[in-house]
Amino acid sequence: MNTLTVSEVTLSFGGLNALTQVSLDIRPGLITSIIGPNGAGKTSMLNCISGFYHPSSGEIRYGAERLTRASPHQVTKKGIARAFQNLELFGGLSVLDNLMLARHRHLAYSFFHALVYWGKAARLEAENRAFVEDVIDFMELEAHRKRAVGSLSYGIQKRVEVARALTLGPQLLLLDEPMAGMNIEEKEDMVRFILDIQKERGITVVLVEHDLGVVMDISDQVYVLDFGELIGAGSPREVAANRKVVDAYIGED
Amino acid sequence: MSANRFFATGNFFTSYREEQRIFRTHLDRGLFILFLACLFAWPLFFDASNRTMLVINNILIAVVAVYGLNLVTGFAGLISIGHAAFVGVGAYTVAGLAWAIGEGHPLIVHWWPLMILAAGGMGAVFGAFVGLPAMRLKHLYLAIATLSFQMIFTWTIKFMPTFNQGQMIPVGRVVWIGGEVGRKVHYLFWYYAILVVAVICGLMVRNLLRSRYGRCLVAVRDNDRAADAMGMHPGLTKVYAFTLAGFFAGVAGALHTYMFRGAGFESFTLHHSITYLAMAIVGGLGTLPGSLFGPAAIYTLELQMEHLSEWSGTFLPDSFNLATALRPLGFGLVIVLFLMFEPRGMANWWRICRSYVKLWPFRY
Repeated sequence: MNTLTVSEVTLSFGGLNALTQVSLDIRPGLITSIIGPNGAGKTSMLNCISGFYHPSSGEIRYGAERLTRASPHQVTKKGIARAFQNLELFGGLSVLDNLMLARHRHLAYSFFHALVYWGKAARLEAENRAFVEDVIDFMELEAHRKRAVGSLSYGIQKRVEVARALTLGPQLLLLDEPMAGMNIEEKEDMVRFILDIQKERGITVVLVEHDLGVVMDISDQVYVLDFGELIGAGSPREVAANRKVVDAYIGED
Repeated sequence: MSANRFFATGNFFTSYREEQRIFRTHLDRGLFILFLACLFAWPLFFDASNRTMLVINNILIAVVAVYGLNLVTGFAGLISIGHAAFVGVGAYTVAGLAWAIGEGHPLIVHWWPLMILAAGGMGAVFGAFVGLPAMRLKHLYLAIATLSFQMIFTWTIKFMPTFNQGQMIPVGRVVWIGGEVGRKVHYLFWYYAILVVAVICGLMVRNLLRSRYGRCLVAVRDNDRAADAMGMHPGLTKVYAFTLAGFFAGVAGALHTYMFRGAGFESFTLHHSITYLAMAIVGGLGTLPGSLFGPAAIYTLELQMEHLSEWSGTFLPDSFNLATALRPLGFGLVIVLFLMFEPRGMANWWRICRSYVKLWPFRY
């Protein structure tokens, strides 16, 4: 398992610095949360890691590999998966097809195998289908398997989003506000899923989340961003006691 | 293995391999085979005129071309208004070669199946090249790029002596088992040849669509950001979509050249590109059966429009010239009506009919 190291990353759009000299250390096997007020640069940070943005300066490393200039599909191949905040599912396809798409790079049969759909193609499709079914089982999506994603409720779609990232078979999972807009019950489910992802599947989780209760309960380490700068880091307890963090984000009782 | 493989009722799967099947029940498969058998057998029982055969062959050629257009526009969501030019590339692969080495050269008349494949390959090469802007451009801008290819194609053909400046280039009669295919059986022979190609291409498309090479097309259509995060290169996937479209168009073009025993530029103009697009829309974008219904419907419509204008000529004065106005008018009207009331095309009617028959006598 590799450590994801973000060192002194700056991301600027024209004159605006979305991130200024931010350094993170995401250790394997843990749940790391990134929190902060709206517009603090949390999603920008995830975008930098997953390759949708490229930092203006600084470096992102995953183990020995540099991800600073990698594009999203290259980052995915390194074993880093991403679930989006604003659902980016393939709306016209069924849940099953959405997940099968996540197995794209594991379906290593040639174009001509696909044309006849015989032998290797059919076998690999079936094998990967079994993997997909495992994830469906894990995320409790059995009932929605064959339904078009666009017709599902928001909470379920969020779950499909996480399931799809999980189907990529990652070592590191980036979750961008997986609980936004959910009710208490759905949130509890999602928290349980995230804990299981970490414990049962041994996947490192990076969580961007606004619900402080959840963050403080399940995180092993927390990073706090404000106006693109890192203002606090450490265990949930340390962060909650940090003066700057309280002023900027948590607030007094 | 499930208990009952003949009907949808009580038909369940016990392995993922079983679920991959194209035909869920023996009944589905049987009906499909029966349908194919009818397609192959009907000319033996009915003596169709050359005129009828010509229309039917035209429909089948358009089916092959629309497979390609449906892949790129329906499944991958990239609007192509240069599809006729790709068909033209295939047609001129054969015709251009015939012009260069002689219309009766063995390569043209003996090795015609190879030529059809080569025309597909050439179409694919051009498709990939024209698809390159898809790496950067989207939506309308990409459509304009394909339109420009259409324009460049017709101008190139018109001005190059290599292609007889767009005038008809003749191609010899092909040779099959038992010698040259003569005048009398020409249309019948090509009916079977085109039918075989159309069926093989259709099965190929069907197989692609249930594999990663078909799913990735739909992925870049629905959400190319997410497609990128799924580990595929969205730009290259789009270029690949154009390559596929070019291949099927090229094959259709070669069939066109052989069936008409020649090629001229006027069969591959912008008007034809738009007709192909209309076929895809009327048939149903993003559906395989749509590629079959669309061409059939549009050609039937054109025939009926001709009849209608002929008939109207019997009681209207010549100065009205309704005949020339009726065709584009009716054509446009049908496309608009489809876009308004049935954007999913005739394939949706097919889907509704199927589910009705399946559930009968129950409503749902």
